[in-house]
Amino acid sequence: MTDSVSRTRSVFTHVLIILIAFVNLAPLLIVVSSSLRSPGNMTNPLDWFNEFSMTSFRSAFERMHFPTALLNSVILTGVSVVFVVLLAAMAAYPMARIRSKTSKFLYLFFLSGLVVPGQMVLIPIIQMIKDLGIPMNQYTPILMFITCSLPFSTFLYTGFIRSSVPEEMEEAAHLDGAGLFRRFWIIVFPLILPVTVSVVITQGVWIWNDYFFNMVFITKASESPIPVAMLGFLGDQQNPAQWNVLFAACILCVLPLLAAFLFLQKYFIGGLTVGSVKG
Amino acid sequence: MNNWKKKVAGITLASLAVASLSACGSNNNNDASSSPSASASASAGSSATASASASTDTSKPVTLTMLLSGSKAADGEDFELDTLPKLVKEKFPNVTLEVQKLPDDQYYTAVKAKLASGEGPDFFTVFPKLANMGAIEVAKAGYAADLSDLTFWDNFSASAKNDMSYEGKPYAVSKGMDILGVYYNKSLFEQAGITELPKDWPSFLEASEKLKAAGVTPITMGDKDPWVIQFGMYQLAANSVYPADPEFDTKLQTGDTHFSDAGWIKTINQYKELYDNGYVSKNSLGMASAQAMQQFVDGKAAMIFTGTWDLPGVTAQGAAEFERGFFSLPGNDAGQPVYASASTAAGYAINASSKNLDAAKQVFEYMFDGSSPLFEAWAASNTSIPVYTGLTTPNAIFNDTLAEIQSTGNAYYFSNQMWPAGVSDAMQTKFSEIIGGKKTTAEDVAKAMQSKYDELNK
Amino acid sequence: MNRAVMTRTMYLFVLPALIFYLLFWIFPILKLFQYSVTDYNGYVQQFSYIGFDNFKTLAHEEILGVSIKNTLLYTFISVVLGNIIALALAFLLNANIRAKGLYRSAFYIPTLFSAIVVGFIWSYIYMPDEGLIASLLNKLGFTGIDTNFLGSYDKALYSIIAVDIWKNIGTSTIIFLAGLQTVPQDLIEAGKIDGAGRWSLVRFIKIPLLATSVTINVTLSVINGLKAFDYSYIMTNGGPGTSTNTLIFAIYKMAFTEQLFGKASALGIISFAIIIVITAAFVLTLNRKEVSA
Repeated sequence: MTDSVSRTRSVFTHVLIILIAFVNLAPLLIVVSSSLRSPGNMTNPLDWFNEFSMTSFRSAFERMHFPTALLNSVILTGVSVVFVVLLAAMAAYPMARIRSKTSKFLYLFFLSGLVVPGQMVLIPIIQMIKDLGIPMNQYTPILMFITCSLPFSTFLYTGFIRSSVPEEMEEAAHLDGAGLFRRFWIIVFPLILPVTVSVVITQGVWIWNDYFFNMVFITKASESPIPVAMLGFLGDQQNPAQWNVLFAACILCVLPLLAAFLFLQKYFIGGLTVGSVKG
Repeated sequence: MNNWKKKVAGITLASLAVASLSACGSNNNNDASSSPSASASASAGSSATASASASTDTSKPVTLTMLLSGSKAADGEDFELDTLPKLVKEKFPNVTLEVQKLPDDQYYTAVKAKLASGEGPDFFTVFPKLANMGAIEVAKAGYAADLSDLTFWDNFSASAKNDMSYEGKPYAVSKGMDILGVYYNKSLFEQAGITELPKDWPSFLEASEKLKAAGVTPITMGDKDPWVIQFGMYQLAANSVYPADPEFDTKLQTGDTHFSDAGWIKTINQYKELYDNGYVSKNSLGMASAQAMQQFVDGKAAMIFTGTWDLPGVTAQGAAEFERGFFSLPGNDAGQPVYASASTAAGYAINASSKNLDAAKQVFEYMFDGSSPLFEAWAASNTSIPVYTGLTTPNAIFNDTLAEIQSTGNAYYFSNQMWPAGVSDAMQTKFSEIIGGKKTTAEDVAKAMQSKYDELNK
Repeated sequence: MNRAVMTRTMYLFVLPALIFYLLFWIFPILKLFQYSVTDYNGYVQQFSYIGFDNFKTLAHEEILGVSIKNTLLYTFISVVLGNIIALALAFLLNANIRAKGLYRSAFYIPTLFSAIVVGFIWSYIYMPDEGLIASLLNKLGFTGIDTNFLGSYDKALYSIIAVDIWKNIGTSTIIFLAGLQTVPQDLIEAGKIDGAGRWSLVRFIKIPLLATSVTINVTLSVINGLKAFDYSYIMTNGGPGTSTNTLIFAIYKMAFTEQLFGKASALGIISFAIIIVITAAFVLTLNRKEVSA
């Protein structure tokens, strides 16, 4: 293979990828361009970036009560993810270590929960919450976020502990007199950090974006996270006169995750990779 | 709210509503036992206790929640989201009102789930009679508080109260009366040479034909939101079903009538005719109601079927300048009178298990007392036709239709208010097939409605 | 295995998760079985047992067949197309080129979006007359092409499947990429020395070694497809007619609009059976393939 051939090929690959990426992201460019227009600018969205104004953003910002919604999203997602990590990592530990029918059953039992959609069981879940006397407030969705995250998270953790945390280290610790809890927290938990990143990212993204449980459980506007605030725009989704504000709202909604992604890109990609290859 | 100033004197709404809606009220057997005098006397006693408790707990901070269906006003202040909490706070400094609005579909899910959990909002939207989240259903389930003891009922029309009642007790305060109709573009009508508003079905078809011939889309509908199908359908039913048999829906319950009877077949066929003749914008199934509305205000279509509540959308600034008008879709045969489709509007209910029942009732007392700033703001923002003594509609566009209803009493309610929720969905789903160009017939639509009705009417 | 080290006491670690899981997931699911033989409306807390009437009614109603068909079609297309496109992209991005990370991110971004935002954006793209595709075609001078994507009985389902693929392709691509990067370079070199062409390298070395990623991607997208709900809910409301009613959407509609929670539970159980059987079949087949590969 000569240099020029490989360079031609490389240029070709670049062009191809850029083309595909452009088609893939074109909708988003139009969204960005429209969101930068003032609400009254009804010119064809294809004449992109023909105005740069923050008025649509301001309007969307106020309508969503963005700072409050953002804070609520952060709290909901943050608390849920911490619990998911703790519960799932702990649950996965015996499932990875003990080789018995019980262990295998538990593993499949948790995993099978993945196939049930929340919309289907909503009413019985609400009854359960009522029967248990749990109050319905801003924090109730956290219960569901934790529960619904368990199947996939325990799956990831179990796979990772089996494949990447050597039992020998634990045996050594055992000989040094470390109890089960110490062994788990001091030896195993730090070693599974890569898959924890994976769990935080995969579960964090869906929890951040979920509108369903939030919509059902949260009653006060001041307690609503971003996706619920976005639901208020549902009536506008096909109204050309509202596009600019709607698109600004979309950008605001996406921005926090996008920022997180750009700063933590390595972890996002790495997290997914660990989960998939080692799982 | 410029229209507010164009108040038209002479129509007292209380009398109007009584006159126009007597047809609806009489149909509702659930209301038979309601006696205004009984509840009036009841209210005298309990209002005293309400005001007594008011003085005792004004110091304690109270948070009331309100979950409503609908979307926020596109621009300016939204009455429920902005004005209402502010004015409540002014009057009751210890009360914080948290209002949230969700689109209809999301509203149904969220409010039902919340009520079933026993943690429902203190205030919520309720629809008249049997409709989805209808007053009867909500009262039967024990979710809505009995509002008989509130003092303002004498100021509301009897039908507004009755349509929100179950076993004679009111469970929600209606915003007023809604009328379904045709909003039309006066300049496009003129351009097409339509000099007189259509007064019956043949002349309506003729007008549509003229518009089409003039190169104008006669009607725009956002059928991607299938519920808009109801807007035309119920107006036609008001002419083709109920005048011949005002008790049609009551008899459905006993099986004496069926959707496959001539009246509904005619209704569905009439509506089908509009699509068959190409009078409705071609891509209506892909177009949401908001987009259809935009087409109308941009002057791209001459008519849109919807109700009084959509006035803000219909009068929004579009690409074209033109005068809007409103009339009842005339489904009547030539020589017959036109019947309008008018019903009690959705309203507010109070959660029966609210922890702050008294405070919530006080908010109602204040809101509907006839003189408070909150009452004024509510009246001014209300697009429904008021049914409150002394209030008239601020929106002159409805005057002709109203005057006609008032003078003739020719009006019937929205059909779905007497059907179990789900029947109208069956109608929409099946009729969509007609719009989509499938070989579905009016008989198929009626059959689907009937079998859903039989399933749900237990 | 050292019994003393890995004791049964360990099972205590499962307890907290198990309690959550049982209370808020498994027990509610079991409740569905109870409700499926009642006329409970999900709303008024009283109901009676009506035997298998709900199942019987469902059996002769159109909606069962329609929603199963739609769901299977949804699943099949999104699994096949989604994974083929993702695999192709992964091969492309695995090439030895600069700015790889940037490109990878470009494809990954849509996966971060909430279904609501995705629904909003695509409603605009698909809108007849004024949407992105319609105006683009207009600008390019193609007129007379039917742009009524979401309002057409023939196109609506495929249109929302496309959205699903668009949204999820980033994740699949990255998982495939990760799999590709585990293919040892010396194996490829050995293959080249043995005279294997580009295609044979892909077919006989790369794809078999991708088995784990394939299993994960296919399984996740099968589950995702069978649980499809969001875009029918946000973009089409199941319509036109019932043409984008998926199983889960039909259940939702039945439970919350028609207030037939008993019947919705019955449909839920049927869906549950379908989902379990299909997922199990996939996982078993793929696992066997993976082992043999």
